[in-house]
Amino acid sequence: MDLKHKGKLENYIFHSSFWFVFCFLILFFLLLIIGLFSYSDMKTILHIFKHPEFRFSLIFTLFTSIIATILASLVALPSGYLLSRKKTIGSTILDTLLDMPIVLPPLVSGVALLIFFGPFLGKHLTEIGIHIVFTPIGVIVAQWFIATPYAIKTFKQTFQSIDKRMENVARTLGYSPSEVFRKVTIPLAKNGLIAGVMLSWTRTLGEFGATAMLAGITRMKTETLSIAVFLNMSIGDMNFAIATAIVMLIFALCLLIIVKLFLGKEVWL
Amino acid sequence: MTPFFQVKNLLVEKSGFKLHHISFSMLKGEYVIILGPTGCGKTMLLETLAGLHKPSKGEIILDKQVITTLPPESRHFGFSYQDSLLYPFLNVEDNILFGAKARHKHKEDKTLKRLIELVHIMDIKHLLNRYPHALSGGELQRVSLARAILINPSILLLDEPLSALDPQTRQSMRCLLQEIHQTEGLSIIHVTHDFNEALQLGTKVIVMNHGTIQQQGRTLDVFKQPNSLFVAQFLQRENVIKGKLFYKGNDLWFKDLKDSWKLGPLSKDIFYQDEALYIMIHPGQLQIGKDHPNSWKTIVKKVVLNSTHVELYCKETISWHVSLSWNEFERQSIQEGSTIFLSVNPQSVHFIKTE
Repeated sequence: MDLKHKGKLENYIFHSSFWFVFCFLILFFLLLIIGLFSYSDMKTILHIFKHPEFRFSLIFTLFTSIIATILASLVALPSGYLLSRKKTIGSTILDTLLDMPIVLPPLVSGVALLIFFGPFLGKHLTEIGIHIVFTPIGVIVAQWFIATPYAIKTFKQTFQSIDKRMENVARTLGYSPSEVFRKVTIPLAKNGLIAGVMLSWTRTLGEFGATAMLAGITRMKTETLSIAVFLNMSIGDMNFAIATAIVMLIFALCLLIIVKLFLGKEVWL
Repeated sequence: MTPFFQVKNLLVEKSGFKLHHISFSMLKGEYVIILGPTGCGKTMLLETLAGLHKPSKGEIILDKQVITTLPPESRHFGFSYQDSLLYPFLNVEDNILFGAKARHKHKEDKTLKRLIELVHIMDIKHLLNRYPHALSGGELQRVSLARAILINPSILLLDEPLSALDPQTRQSMRCLLQEIHQTEGLSIIHVTHDFNEALQLGTKVIVMNHGTIQQQGRTLDVFKQPNSLFVAQFLQRENVIKGKLFYKGNDLWFKDLKDSWKLGPLSKDIFYQDEALYIMIHPGQLQIGKDHPNSWKTIVKKVVLNSTHVELYCKETISWHVSLSWNEFERQSIQEGSTIFLSVNPQSVHFIKTE
């Protein structure tokens, strides 16, 4: 076989093998979604919006997740900025520490939170009237804990991508460090910050393990959409569970598309 | 004359790099060029002058006031980087007015009048409503300069402002900088690695290497009389030859590794007798002709014709670069392979001590 033909064949095998694996994966994901839809129908999905339990869990999830996302973003903004600007051995250790909720199974995070807000700090918090364990506040705390590292990571990467000299120029033009942050850094980071907020929100919307551990699985009290799916699956109400899952899926996909549009590229975590 | 700006024995340490023994001064309205190879600390020095790095030692004095620890926003220095760094979320007009906005002066008549003036000088009137992504390299740099000048800076700091531009735009920007310097009477410190920029623009030049100043002085003086082999090589000075000087009678002789040749009688005292040193002869100072009693023989290896002059690259034992006028070239009827005789007026020879 001459070199020209050998090269062509190699190219063909190289590209087709990559495409084969990629198509297989896409097909698998599509079939998963189709499978979910095939188990339900439009009527059931629409009907579920009238169900009081679904309504409660939808509003409750939106409420807790929005608060948790706002809190996570408020914490992530200074943390992400500091981690992006100060590069020392210490910052790598701190960065790794803040990644903890990403690498820990959410259930284990939930156990840690339960111990912290229960036996460890619970008594003192109760004395000042704060009840976190097995309450809706616990849901917000668990969602916040899981979502914060995602927000920090995205914010950090966004701030890192900003040329420090852009801030330098603003300093020489007469802006103080806080003014530079507000008038230069934030506008330059806008898209990345929005993407980070959206990503954290997506994460809070689907949170289950840590929430279940810290806030408990109590119908119509700490019942987020994920908990609603779990509760109804466990009692065999497949229609309710699957319709809820589909609503969650559509919502999460829409949010992810927004994230990617704002970030202009893949979210890398 | 009292210096307008003084830097005294500055020491700056950052990320393992050290700027040390930095001392220089400039007069009001002077155009200082900081020249040096990549990584020598030029930008770090400029950023330190702007207040972006804190010196561990030394003083910076502006108009008799010590400003060493003053934050950048209080120094009132204009700063423009190589890649212009305009804010992509602002249009050209808002970018230029960004500094005035910090002082809440962007709506004042005086500021707007100045904006119109600068826009006219920089020829960017047609760009005011555009966003930075729609501008060319030269346009970006002109807007960046306008932004830095609009705040009426005490000193304008320019970090390689022409490096990212194509040769044609670079030349027109050089002329623009020259015009701004003259018409606006600005004091400018301009960092570059291009010595042609230094020759065209600088009234004073500071040559840096390895975080410290190697030589400083009037541009032509530094160019004509480099004080070290590094400066001579960095300024691309040619005909730099290592050897020793010695006297024979009243004549000054130079001995390189192989040959000795007579430079001629020298009236001024030479302190370098028998010391190893470098001599440097400007290509234009080498004369061609057998008539001179102290001439030495060499062979023309290559002839390069330029629109204004002719360059000869010669070699027998030592390589010589000779620059001569067209008239002289035609009179001598020189060709590649010709044997010619070179001589030099000893007063035109510059001596550089070995390090």
